[in-house]
Amino acid sequence: MVAAQHKVKAEISHRYGHLLVHDKLQFSVGENEFLCICGPSGCGKTTLLDILAGILPPTEGNVLINGRAVDPKRDNISFVFQEPSTFPWLNVWDNVATGLRIKAVKGRELARRVNDIIDIVSLRDFTHYYPHQISGGMKQRVAIARAFATDADLILMDEPFVSLDQPTRERMQREVLHTWEHRRHTVVFVTHNLEEAVFLGDRVIVLCAKPARIVAEIPVPLPRPRDPLSPEFTRIRAQCAGILHSLDPAPGALPDRRIAKAG
Amino acid sequence: MSASNEAEAGSLQVVAGAPTALPTGVAASLSPVASARQTRLTGALVSLAWNALVLLIVLAGWQILTILINSRFFPGPIAIFWAFVDLAVNGDTGGRTLWDHSWASVQRVLIGFGLAVVAGVPLGLLMGLYPRVYTNSRVVLEPFRFIPPIAWIPLAIIFFSGMTRFAFLIFLGAFFPVFTAALVGVARVEPIHRKVGLVYGASKGWILAHVVFPTVLPDILGGMRVGLGAAWLTIVAAELAGGISLGLGRMMSNYAELVQVPQVVVGMVLIGMLGLVMNEVLLVVEKRLFRWRWQVSL
Repeated sequence: MVAAQHKVKAEISHRYGHLLVHDKLQFSVGENEFLCICGPSGCGKTTLLDILAGILPPTEGNVLINGRAVDPKRDNISFVFQEPSTFPWLNVWDNVATGLRIKAVKGRELARRVNDIIDIVSLRDFTHYYPHQISGGMKQRVAIARAFATDADLILMDEPFVSLDQPTRERMQREVLHTWEHRRHTVVFVTHNLEEAVFLGDRVIVLCAKPARIVAEIPVPLPRPRDPLSPEFTRIRAQCAGILHSLDPAPGALPDRRIAKAG
Repeated sequence: MSASNEAEAGSLQVVAGAPTALPTGVAASLSPVASARQTRLTGALVSLAWNALVLLIVLAGWQILTILINSRFFPGPIAIFWAFVDLAVNGDTGGRTLWDHSWASVQRVLIGFGLAVVAGVPLGLLMGLYPRVYTNSRVVLEPFRFIPPIAWIPLAIIFFSGMTRFAFLIFLGAFFPVFTAALVGVARVEPIHRKVGLVYGASKGWILAHVVFPTVLPDILGGMRVGLGAAWLTIVAAELAGGISLGLGRMMSNYAELVQVPQVVVGMVLIGMLGLVMNEVLLVVEKRLFRWRWQVSL
Protein backbone atom coordinates (compact mmCIF):
# COMPACT_ATOMS: atom_id res chain seq x y z
CA MET A 1 0.00 0.00 0.00
CA VAL A 2 1.48 3.31 -1.04
CA ALA A 3 0.74 5.93 1.58
CA ALA A 4 2.10 9.38 0.94
CA GLN A 5 1.59 10.51 4.47
CA HIS A 6 0.43 8.27 7.28
CA LYS A 7 -2.85 9.15 8.92
CA VAL A 8 -1.54 8.30 12.35
CA LYS A 9 2.07 8.16 13.44
CA ALA A 10 2.93 7.13 16.96
CA GLU A 11 6.21 6.98 18.84
CA ILE A 12 5.52 6.33 22.46
CA SER A 13 7.20 5.35 25.66
CA HIS A 14 5.03 5.53 28.71
CA ARG A 15 5.71 5.14 32.37
CA TYR A 16 3.26 4.82 35.22
CA GLY A 17 5.30 5.86 38.22
CA HIS A 18 8.32 3.60 38.10
CA LEU A 19 6.65 1.02 35.95
CA LEU A 20 7.55 1.10 32.28
CA VAL A 21 4.34 0.36 30.45
CA HIS A 22 5.23 1.02 26.83
CA ASP A 23 8.79 0.61 25.62
CA LYS A 24 9.49 2.68 22.51
CA LEU A 25 6.37 1.71 20.60
CA GLN A 26 6.62 2.94 17.05
CA PHE A 27 3.99 2.38 14.44
CA SER A 28 1.84 4.16 11.91
CA VAL A 29 -1.60 3.67 10.49
CA GLY A 30 -2.52 4.46 6.90
CA GLU A 31 -5.63 6.27 5.78
CA ASN A 32 -8.69 3.98 5.80
CA GLU A 33 -6.65 1.15 7.24
CA PHE A 34 -8.12 -1.27 9.75
CA LEU A 35 -5.30 -2.01 12.15
CA CYS A 36 -5.60 -4.64 14.85
CA ILE A 37 -3.38 -4.54 17.90
CA CYS A 38 -3.18 -7.85 19.67
CA GLY A 39 -1.58 -8.61 22.99
CA PRO A 40 -2.09 -10.43 26.28
CA SER A 41 -4.35 -8.91 28.93
CA GLY A 42 -2.62 -6.30 31.02
CA CYS A 43 -0.05 -5.23 28.46
CA GLY A 44 -1.27 -1.67 28.49
CA LYS A 45 -3.62 -1.75 25.51
CA THR A 46 -6.22 0.56 27.03
CA THR A 47 -3.51 3.01 28.07
CA LEU A 48 -2.20 2.94 24.52
CA LEU A 49 -5.61 3.84 23.14
CA ASP A 50 -6.00 6.64 25.69
CA ILE A 51 -2.68 8.01 24.46
CA LEU A 52 -3.70 7.71 20.81
CA ALA A 53 -6.95 9.51 21.59
CA GLY A 54 -5.05 12.41 23.08
CA ILE A 55 -6.67 12.17 26.49
CA LEU A 56 -3.53 10.84 28.17
CA PRO A 57 -0.16 12.41 27.37
CA PRO A 58 2.66 9.88 26.98
CA THR A 59 5.67 10.36 29.24
CA GLU A 60 7.88 10.30 26.16
CA GLY A 61 7.14 10.64 22.50
CA ASN A 62 4.09 11.82 20.64
CA VAL A 63 1.17 10.88 18.48
CA LEU A 64 0.64 12.64 15.16
CA ILE A 65 -2.68 12.77 13.35
CA ASN A 66 -2.44 14.10 9.81
CA GLY A 67 1.02 15.28 10.68
CA ARG A 68 0.05 17.31 13.75
CA ALA A 69 0.10 16.46 17.44
CA VAL A 70 -3.15 14.84 18.46
CA ASP A 71 -5.74 17.16 20.01
CA PRO A 72 -9.22 15.82 20.74
CA LYS A 73 -10.73 19.25 20.38
CA ARG A 74 -9.37 19.75 16.90
CA ASP A 75 -9.07 16.21 15.59
CA ASN A 76 -12.08 14.05 15.01
CA ILE A 77 -11.53 10.96 17.10
CA SER A 78 -14.06 8.34 18.16
CA PHE A 79 -13.71 5.68 20.81
CA VAL A 80 -15.68 2.50 21.38
CA PHE A 81 -15.00 1.37 24.93
CA GLN A 82 -14.91 -2.09 26.43
CA GLU A 83 -17.90 -1.46 28.67
CA PRO A 84 -21.11 -0.06 27.24
CA SER A 85 -20.66 3.68 27.31
CA THR A 86 -24.12 4.81 26.30
CA PHE A 87 -25.68 7.55 28.40
CA PRO A 88 -28.57 5.96 30.28
CA TRP A 89 -30.59 9.17 30.32
CA LEU A 90 -30.72 9.41 26.51
CA ASN A 91 -32.53 7.17 24.09
CA VAL A 92 -30.75 5.39 21.26
CA TRP A 93 -31.15 8.21 18.77
CA ASP A 94 -29.80 10.87 21.11
CA ASN A 95 -26.93 8.62 22.14
CA VAL A 96 -25.86 8.17 18.53
CA ALA A 97 -26.09 11.93 18.07
CA THR A 98 -23.83 12.69 21.07
CA GLY A 99 -20.52 12.84 19.23
CA LEU A 100 -21.97 15.01 16.49
CA ARG A 101 -23.55 17.32 19.07
CA ILE A 102 -20.24 17.82 20.85
CA LYS A 103 -18.75 18.72 17.48
CA ALA A 104 -21.48 21.37 17.15
CA VAL A 105 -23.41 19.76 14.31
CA LYS A 106 -27.03 20.87 14.46
CA GLY A 107 -30.46 20.77 12.90
CA ARG A 108 -31.07 19.05 9.59
CA GLU A 109 -27.42 18.13 9.08
CA LEU A 110 -27.40 16.39 12.46
CA ALA A 111 -30.64 14.53 11.75
CA ARG A 112 -29.47 13.39 8.34
CA ARG A 113 -26.16 12.02 9.58
CA VAL A 114 -27.68 10.31 12.60
CA ASN A 115 -30.43 8.70 10.56
CA ASP A 116 -27.91 7.54 7.96
CA ILE A 117 -25.72 5.71 10.43
CA ILE A 118 -28.73 4.31 12.28
CA ASP A 119 -29.90 2.73 9.05
CA ILE A 120 -26.46 1.30 8.32
CA VAL A 121 -26.27 -0.45 11.69
CA SER A 122 -29.97 -1.47 11.60
CA LEU A 123 -31.09 0.41 14.71
CA ARG A 124 -34.04 2.07 12.95
CA ASP A 125 -36.64 0.14 14.99
CA PHE A 126 -35.07 1.03 18.31
CA THR A 127 -34.47 4.75 18.21
CA HIS A 128 -36.90 5.41 21.06
CA TYR A 129 -35.55 2.76 23.38
CA TYR A 130 -33.44 3.61 26.40
CA PRO A 131 -30.19 1.74 27.16
CA HIS A 132 -31.71 -0.11 30.10
CA GLN A 133 -34.18 -1.72 27.69
CA ILE A 134 -31.64 -3.13 25.25
CA SER A 135 -29.06 -5.87 25.48
CA GLY A 136 -25.30 -5.44 25.89
CA GLY A 137 -24.70 -6.26 22.25
CA MET A 138 -27.15 -3.61 21.17
CA LYS A 139 -25.56 -1.07 23.48
CA GLN A 140 -22.26 -1.68 21.75
CA ARG A 141 -24.01 -1.29 18.41
CA VAL A 142 -25.18 2.11 19.58
CA ALA A 143 -21.62 2.95 20.65
CA ILE A 144 -20.32 1.89 17.23
CA ALA A 145 -22.99 3.94 15.48
CA ARG A 146 -22.01 6.94 17.59
CA ALA A 147 -18.36 6.36 16.69
CA PHE A 148 -18.95 6.15 12.95
CA ALA A 149 -21.43 9.03 12.85
CA THR A 150 -18.82 11.74 13.15
CA ASP A 151 -16.76 10.96 10.00
CA ALA A 152 -13.82 10.52 12.30
CA ASP A 153 -10.14 10.84 11.42
CA LEU A 154 -9.50 7.90 13.72
CA ILE A 155 -11.76 5.36 15.36
CA LEU A 156 -10.38 3.53 18.37
CA MET A 157 -11.94 0.34 19.66
CA ASP A 158 -10.92 -1.20 22.96
CA GLU A 159 -11.91 -4.89 22.96
CA PRO A 160 -15.53 -3.85 22.38
CA PHE A 161 -16.88 -7.38 22.10
CA VAL A 162 -15.04 -9.03 24.96
CA SER A 163 -18.09 -9.06 27.24
CA LEU A 164 -20.44 -10.56 24.65
CA ASP A 165 -21.22 -14.20 24.10
CA GLN A 166 -19.71 -15.98 21.12
CA PRO A 167 -22.59 -15.80 18.61
CA THR A 168 -23.22 -12.14 19.42
CA ARG A 169 -19.52 -11.41 19.15
CA GLU A 170 -19.33 -12.98 15.70
CA ARG A 171 -22.36 -11.03 14.57
CA MET A 172 -20.90 -7.78 15.91
CA GLN A 173 -17.60 -8.45 14.14
CA ARG A 174 -19.43 -8.79 10.85
CA GLU A 175 -21.42 -5.65 11.61
CA VAL A 176 -18.33 -3.61 12.33
CA LEU A 177 -16.88 -4.67 9.00
CA HIS A 178 -20.20 -3.94 7.30
CA THR A 179 -20.26 -0.44 8.81
CA TRP A 180 -16.61 0.11 8.01
CA GLU A 181 -17.22 -0.86 4.42
CA HIS A 182 -19.79 1.93 4.20
CA ARG A 183 -17.63 4.48 5.97
CA ARG A 184 -13.99 3.71 5.40
CA HIS A 185 -12.48 5.43 8.36
CA THR A 186 -9.11 4.67 9.89
CA VAL A 187 -9.63 2.14 12.66
CA VAL A 188 -7.35 0.90 15.43
CA PHE A 189 -8.93 -2.15 17.03
CA VAL A 190 -7.43 -3.65 20.16
CA THR A 191 -8.12 -7.21 21.23
CA HIS A 192 -6.54 -10.16 22.95
CA ASN A 193 -8.48 -12.52 20.71
CA LEU A 194 -6.21 -13.57 17.84
CA GLU A 195 -8.93 -14.92 15.64
CA GLU A 196 -10.81 -11.64 15.96
CA ALA A 197 -7.68 -9.68 15.05
CA VAL A 198 -6.95 -11.73 11.94
CA PHE A 199 -10.62 -11.75 10.94
CA LEU A 200 -10.96 -8.00 11.08
CA GLY A 201 -7.65 -6.33 10.35
CA ASP A 202 -5.65 -5.30 7.30
CA ARG A 203 -2.64 -5.64 9.53
CA VAL A 204 -2.01 -7.14 12.96
CA ILE A 205 0.49 -5.69 15.41
CA VAL A 206 1.44 -8.05 18.22
CA LEU A 207 2.47 -6.61 21.58
CA CYS A 208 4.15 -8.43 24.42
CA ALA A 209 3.31 -7.99 28.10
CA LYS A 210 4.60 -5.04 30.12
CA PRO A 211 6.91 -3.40 29.26
CA ALA A 212 5.05 -3.58 25.97
CA ARG A 213 7.04 -3.75 22.78
CA ILE A 214 6.00 -4.51 19.25
CA VAL A 215 7.14 -8.05 18.58
CA ALA A 216 5.54 -8.51 15.17
CA GLU A 217 3.69 -6.69 12.42
CA ILE A 218 1.81 -9.08 10.21
CA PRO A 219 -0.16 -7.98 7.16
CA VAL A 220 -3.38 -9.83 6.39
CA PRO A 221 -3.85 -9.47 2.65
CA LEU A 222 -6.94 -11.66 2.48
CA PRO A 223 -10.12 -10.40 0.83
CA ARG A 224 -13.19 -9.94 3.02
CA PRO A 225 -15.42 -11.64 4.05
CA ARG A 226 -12.82 -13.95 5.50
CA ASP A 227 -13.29 -17.60 6.33
CA PRO A 228 -11.63 -18.46 9.65
CA LEU A 229 -11.38 -22.08 8.52
CA SER A 230 -9.55 -21.41 5.27
CA PRO A 231 -5.88 -22.44 5.05
CA GLU A 232 -4.57 -18.92 4.45
CA PHE A 233 -6.41 -17.59 7.50
CA THR A 234 -5.20 -20.47 9.61
CA ARG A 235 -1.62 -19.96 8.47
CA ILE A 236 -1.58 -16.28 9.40
CA ARG A 237 -3.29 -16.99 12.68
CA ALA A 238 -0.83 -19.73 13.53
CA GLN A 239 2.00 -17.35 12.76
CA CYS A 240 0.64 -14.79 15.25
CA ALA A 241 -0.13 -17.48 17.80
CA GLY A 242 3.38 -18.81 17.59
CA ILE A 243 4.83 -15.39 18.27
CA LEU A 244 2.47 -14.74 21.18
CA HIS A 245 3.08 -18.11 22.80
CA SER A 246 6.82 -17.78 22.54
CA LEU A 247 6.47 -14.83 24.91
CA ASP A 248 4.61 -16.81 27.57
CA PRO A 249 6.70 -17.90 30.56
CA ALA A 250 6.88 -21.69 31.01
CA PRO A 251 4.08 -23.04 33.24
CA GLY A 252 5.14 -22.88 36.87
CA ALA A 253 7.85 -20.30 36.26
CA LEU A 254 7.87 -17.22 38.45
CA PRO A 255 6.31 -14.21 36.75
CA ASP A 256 8.54 -11.33 35.78
CA ARG A 257 8.51 -8.94 38.75
CA ARG A 258 8.09 -5.90 36.57
CA ILE A 259 5.00 -7.39 34.94
CA ALA A 260 3.59 -8.58 38.26
CA LYS A 261 3.58 -5.02 39.60
CA ALA A 262 0.60 -4.20 37.40
CA GLY A 263 -0.57 -0.63 37.96
CA MET B 1 -32.91 -11.44 10.71
CA SER B 2 -30.96 -10.68 13.79
CA ALA B 3 -32.64 -7.29 14.26
CA SER B 4 -36.13 -8.74 14.66
CA ASN B 5 -34.89 -11.30 17.21
CA GLU B 6 -33.53 -8.54 19.35
CA ALA B 7 -36.69 -6.51 18.78
CA GLU B 8 -38.75 -9.21 20.42
CA ALA B 9 -36.23 -9.61 23.21
CA GLY B 10 -36.24 -5.88 23.85
CA SER B 11 -40.02 -5.42 23.77
CA LEU B 12 -40.62 -8.25 26.26
CA GLN B 13 -38.88 -6.26 28.98
CA VAL B 14 -42.04 -4.54 30.16
CA VAL B 15 -41.75 -3.00 33.61
CA ALA B 16 -41.72 0.62 34.75
CA GLY B 17 -40.01 2.54 32.03
CA ALA B 18 -41.39 0.87 28.91
CA PRO B 19 -41.09 3.19 25.91
CA THR B 20 -44.07 5.43 25.45
CA ALA B 21 -43.81 5.39 21.65
CA LEU B 22 -44.38 1.96 20.16
CA PRO B 23 -41.55 0.97 17.84
CA THR B 24 -42.42 0.47 14.19
CA GLY B 25 -41.92 -2.72 12.28
CA VAL B 26 -42.30 -6.26 13.50
CA ALA B 27 -42.42 -5.37 17.19
CA ALA B 28 -45.51 -3.15 16.87
CA SER B 29 -47.88 -5.99 16.07
CA LEU B 30 -47.09 -7.72 19.38
CA SER B 31 -48.10 -4.78 21.68
CA PRO B 32 -47.04 -6.33 24.96
CA VAL B 33 -46.49 -2.76 26.11
CA ALA B 34 -50.20 -1.93 25.91
CA SER B 35 -51.33 -5.08 27.71
CA ALA B 36 -48.76 -4.49 30.43
CA ARG B 37 -50.08 -0.98 30.96
CA GLN B 38 -53.56 -2.47 31.36
CA THR B 39 -52.31 -4.92 33.94
CA ARG B 40 -50.69 -2.07 35.86
CA LEU B 41 -53.98 -0.11 35.77
CA THR B 42 -56.09 -3.02 37.06
CA GLY B 43 -53.47 -3.65 39.70
CA ALA B 44 -53.65 -0.03 40.82
CA LEU B 45 -57.46 -0.14 40.98
CA VAL B 46 -57.45 -3.34 43.03
CA SER B 47 -54.94 -1.81 45.41
CA LEU B 48 -57.09 1.32 45.69
CA ALA B 49 -60.17 -0.80 46.50
CA TRP B 50 -58.31 -2.65 49.22
CA ASN B 51 -57.04 0.62 50.68
CA ALA B 52 -60.59 2.01 50.78
CA LEU B 53 -61.78 -1.11 52.57
CA VAL B 54 -59.01 -0.94 55.16
CA LEU B 55 -59.77 2.74 55.74
CA LEU B 56 -63.48 2.01 56.28
CA ILE B 57 -62.69 -0.73 58.78
CA VAL B 58 -60.32 1.49 60.74
CA LEU B 59 -62.78 4.39 60.82
CA ALA B 60 -65.60 2.13 61.92
CA GLY B 61 -63.46 0.66 64.69
CA TRP B 62 -62.44 4.14 65.78
CA GLN B 63 -66.06 5.32 65.94
CA ILE B 64 -67.03 2.32 68.04
CA LEU B 65 -64.13 3.00 70.38
CA THR B 66 -65.26 6.63 70.74
CA ILE B 67 -68.75 5.58 71.73
CA LEU B 68 -67.36 3.16 74.30
CA ILE B 69 -64.96 5.69 75.82
CA ASN B 70 -67.60 8.44 75.77
CA SER B 71 -65.32 11.36 76.63
CA ARG B 72 -65.24 14.93 75.41
CA PHE B 73 -61.52 14.57 74.84
CA PHE B 74 -61.71 11.55 72.54
CA PRO B 75 -63.54 12.52 69.33
CA GLY B 76 -64.54 9.98 66.72
CA PRO B 77 -64.16 10.38 62.99
CA ILE B 78 -67.70 11.68 62.66
CA ALA B 79 -67.12 14.48 65.17
CA ILE B 80 -63.89 15.37 63.45
CA PHE B 81 -65.63 15.44 60.10
CA TRP B 82 -68.24 17.89 61.38
CA ALA B 83 -65.54 20.02 62.98
CA PHE B 84 -63.85 20.12 59.60
CA VAL B 85 -67.05 21.21 57.86
CA ASP B 86 -67.62 23.88 60.51
CA LEU B 87 -64.09 25.22 60.16
CA ALA B 88 -64.27 25.16 56.41
CA VAL B 89 -67.56 27.03 56.25
CA ASN B 90 -67.32 29.38 59.24
CA GLY B 91 -63.64 29.75 59.81
CA ASP B 92 -61.99 29.64 63.22
CA THR B 93 -62.57 31.78 66.34
CA GLY B 94 -60.78 34.72 64.74
CA GLY B 95 -62.71 34.44 61.47
CA ARG B 96 -59.76 33.02 59.56
CA THR B 97 -60.59 30.28 57.08
CA LEU B 98 -58.94 26.89 56.73
CA TRP B 99 -57.71 28.04 53.40
CA ASP B 100 -55.94 31.04 54.98
CA HIS B 101 -54.19 28.82 57.50
CA SER B 102 -53.26 26.15 54.98
CA TRP B 103 -51.98 28.59 52.42
CA ALA B 104 -49.92 30.43 55.04
CA SER B 105 -48.19 27.23 56.09
CA VAL B 106 -47.65 25.99 52.55
CA GLN B 107 -46.33 29.35 51.44
CA ARG B 108 -43.75 29.44 54.20
CA VAL B 109 -42.60 25.92 53.38
CA LEU B 110 -42.29 26.63 49.67
CA ILE B 111 -40.28 29.81 50.20
CA GLY B 112 -37.87 28.25 52.68
CA PHE B 113 -37.61 25.12 50.55
CA GLY B 114 -36.99 27.13 47.39
CA LEU B 115 -34.15 28.97 49.09
CA ALA B 116 -32.68 25.69 50.30
CA VAL B 117 -32.68 24.26 46.76
CA VAL B 118 -31.21 27.40 45.22
CA ALA B 119 -28.40 27.39 47.79
CA GLY B 120 -27.99 23.65 48.31
CA VAL B 121 -27.78 22.34 44.73
CA PRO B 122 -24.99 24.62 43.41
CA LEU B 123 -23.05 24.35 46.66
CA GLY B 124 -23.38 20.58 46.69
CA LEU B 125 -22.31 20.33 43.06
CA LEU B 126 -19.36 22.63 43.67
CA MET B 127 -18.13 20.70 46.67
CA GLY B 128 -18.66 17.46 44.80
CA LEU B 129 -16.58 18.62 41.85
CA TYR B 130 -13.86 20.06 44.08
CA PRO B 131 -13.78 17.63 46.98
CA ARG B 132 -10.83 19.34 48.58
CA VAL B 133 -12.95 22.42 49.24
CA TYR B 134 -15.40 20.19 51.05
CA THR B 135 -12.90 18.21 53.09
CA ASN B 136 -11.06 21.35 54.12
CA SER B 137 -14.19 23.12 55.34
CA ARG B 138 -15.95 20.23 56.98
CA VAL B 139 -15.22 21.41 60.53
CA VAL B 140 -17.46 24.40 59.93
CA LEU B 141 -20.06 22.73 57.74
CA GLU B 142 -20.76 19.40 59.38
CA PRO B 143 -21.81 20.51 62.90
CA PHE B 144 -24.64 22.54 61.39
CA ARG B 145 -26.06 19.37 59.89
CA PHE B 146 -26.75 17.99 63.35
CA ILE B 147 -28.40 21.00 64.91
CA PRO B 148 -32.12 20.35 64.39
CA PRO B 149 -34.05 23.32 63.00
CA ILE B 150 -36.13 23.34 66.16
CA ALA B 151 -33.05 24.27 68.15
CA TRP B 152 -32.79 27.40 66.05
CA ILE B 153 -36.22 28.64 67.08
CA PRO B 154 -35.08 30.80 70.02
CA LEU B 155 -32.48 32.59 67.85
CA ALA B 156 -34.96 32.86 65.03
CA ILE B 157 -37.46 34.57 67.32
CA ILE B 158 -34.83 37.04 68.48
CA PHE B 159 -33.37 37.92 65.10
CA PHE B 160 -36.24 37.57 62.66
CA SER B 161 -39.94 38.10 62.51
CA GLY B 162 -42.75 37.22 60.20
CA MET B 163 -42.03 35.42 56.95
CA THR B 164 -38.26 35.82 57.33
CA ARG B 165 -38.31 33.86 60.55
CA PHE B 166 -40.20 30.97 59.00
CA ALA B 167 -38.18 31.02 55.78
CA PHE B 168 -34.98 30.88 57.84
CA LEU B 169 -36.13 27.89 59.86
CA ILE B 170 -37.47 25.99 56.85
CA PHE B 171 -34.26 26.71 54.97
CA LEU B 172 -32.25 25.12 57.75
CA GLY B 173 -34.45 22.05 57.69
CA ALA B 174 -34.35 21.53 53.94
CA PHE B 175 -30.81 22.63 53.12
CA PHE B 176 -28.74 19.66 54.23
CA PRO B 177 -30.71 16.84 52.56
CA VAL B 178 -30.51 18.69 49.24
CA PHE B 179 -26.87 19.71 49.66
CA THR B 180 -25.75 16.22 50.67
CA ALA B 181 -27.66 14.61 47.81
CA ALA B 182 -25.92 16.84 45.25
CA LEU B 183 -22.54 16.33 46.91
CA VAL B 184 -22.79 12.55 46.95
CA GLY B 185 -24.38 12.38 43.51
CA VAL B 186 -21.37 13.94 41.81
CA ALA B 187 -19.16 11.11 43.03
CA ARG B 188 -21.46 8.66 41.29
CA VAL B 189 -20.74 10.08 37.84
CA GLU B 190 -19.30 7.26 35.77
CA PRO B 191 -15.73 7.93 34.62
CA ILE B 192 -16.52 6.35 31.28
CA HIS B 193 -19.22 8.91 30.56
CA ARG B 194 -16.70 11.65 31.27
CA LYS B 195 -14.30 9.91 28.93
CA VAL B 196 -16.87 9.92 26.14
CA GLY B 197 -17.03 13.69 26.44
CA LEU B 198 -13.24 14.08 26.59
CA VAL B 199 -12.61 11.93 23.52
CA TYR B 200 -14.86 14.11 21.38
CA GLY B 201 -13.17 17.21 22.75
CA ALA B 202 -16.03 18.43 24.94
CA SER B 203 -15.40 21.41 27.20
CA LYS B 204 -15.65 21.13 30.97
CA GLY B 205 -18.89 23.08 30.77
CA TRP B 206 -20.39 20.61 28.33
CA ILE B 207 -19.45 17.68 30.55
CA LEU B 208 -20.96 19.47 33.55
CA ALA B 209 -24.23 20.15 31.77
CA HIS B 210 -24.60 16.95 29.77
CA VAL B 211 -22.93 14.29 31.90
CA VAL B 212 -22.69 15.43 35.52
CA PHE B 213 -26.08 17.11 35.72
CA PRO B 214 -28.21 14.28 34.24
CA THR B 215 -26.39 11.79 36.48
CA VAL B 216 -26.92 13.86 39.60
CA LEU B 217 -30.50 14.97 38.93
CA PRO B 218 -32.23 11.83 40.28
CA ASP B 219 -30.21 12.09 43.48
CA ILE B 220 -31.03 15.77 43.78
CA LEU B 221 -34.74 15.14 43.38
CA GLY B 222 -34.58 12.40 46.00
CA GLY B 223 -32.80 14.79 48.33
CA MET B 224 -35.44 17.41 47.57
CA ARG B 225 -38.20 15.04 48.62
CA VAL B 226 -36.45 14.34 51.90
CA GLY B 227 -35.80 18.05 52.34
CA LEU B 228 -39.43 18.90 51.66
CA GLY B 229 -40.50 16.39 54.28
CA ALA B 230 -38.08 17.88 56.78
CA ALA B 231 -39.30 21.37 55.89
CA TRP B 232 -42.88 20.37 56.50
CA LEU B 233 -42.01 18.92 59.91
CA THR B 234 -40.17 22.10 60.80
CA ILE B 235 -43.05 24.42 59.93
CA VAL B 236 -45.36 22.83 62.46
CA ALA B 237 -42.84 23.23 65.27
CA ALA B 238 -42.02 26.75 64.16
CA GLU B 239 -45.67 27.76 64.11
CA LEU B 240 -46.34 26.20 67.47
CA ALA B 241 -43.60 28.35 68.94
CA GLY B 242 -44.01 31.56 67.02
CA GLY B 243 -46.39 34.45 67.56
CA ILE B 244 -48.09 34.81 64.20
CA SER B 245 -51.80 34.12 64.12
CA LEU B 246 -51.94 32.38 60.73
CA GLY B 247 -50.85 28.85 60.00
CA LEU B 248 -52.03 25.30 60.59
CA GLY B 249 -49.67 24.81 63.51
CA ARG B 250 -50.89 28.04 65.06
CA MET B 251 -54.50 27.03 64.54
CA MET B 252 -53.88 23.71 66.27
CA SER B 253 -52.21 25.46 69.14
CA ASN B 254 -55.15 27.87 69.57
CA TYR B 255 -57.70 25.11 69.74
CA ALA B 256 -55.50 23.09 72.07
CA GLU B 257 -55.59 26.01 74.51
CA LEU B 258 -59.38 25.98 74.22
CA VAL B 259 -59.30 22.21 74.76
CA GLN B 260 -61.34 21.67 71.60
CA VAL B 261 -59.86 18.38 70.47
CA PRO B 262 -61.76 17.80 67.18
CA GLN B 263 -60.37 21.00 65.70
CA VAL B 264 -56.86 20.05 66.75
CA VAL B 265 -57.22 16.74 64.98
CA VAL B 266 -58.56 18.49 61.88
CA GLY B 267 -55.36 20.49 61.85
CA MET B 268 -53.28 17.33 62.15
CA VAL B 269 -55.13 15.59 59.35
CA LEU B 270 -54.73 18.60 57.09
CA ILE B 271 -51.04 18.80 57.83
CA GLY B 272 -50.64 15.12 57.01
CA MET B 273 -52.63 15.44 53.79
CA LEU B 274 -50.75 18.46 52.56
CA GLY B 275 -47.43 16.81 53.29
CA LEU B 276 -48.57 13.72 51.41
CA VAL B 277 -49.69 15.72 48.41
CA MET B 278 -46.36 17.52 48.19
CA ASN B 279 -44.50 14.24 48.40
CA GLU B 280 -46.68 12.67 45.70
CA VAL B 281 -46.21 15.63 43.38
CA LEU B 282 -42.45 15.27 43.60
CA LEU B 283 -42.75 11.52 43.08
CA VAL B 284 -44.72 12.06 39.89
CA VAL B 285 -42.11 14.54 38.68
CA GLU B 286 -39.41 12.01 39.46
CA LYS B 287 -41.17 9.21 37.62
CA ARG B 288 -41.72 11.29 34.49
CA LEU B 289 -38.23 12.73 34.40
CA PHE B 290 -36.49 9.48 35.10
CA ARG B 291 -38.24 7.02 32.86
CA TRP B 292 -34.77 5.99 31.79
CA ARG B 293 -34.10 4.43 35.15
CA TRP B 294 -35.08 0.84 35.63
CA GLN B 295 -35.63 1.20 39.34
CA VAL B 296 -38.17 3.53 40.86
CA SER B 297 -37.25 4.96 44.27
CA LEU B 298 -39.70 5.29 47.09
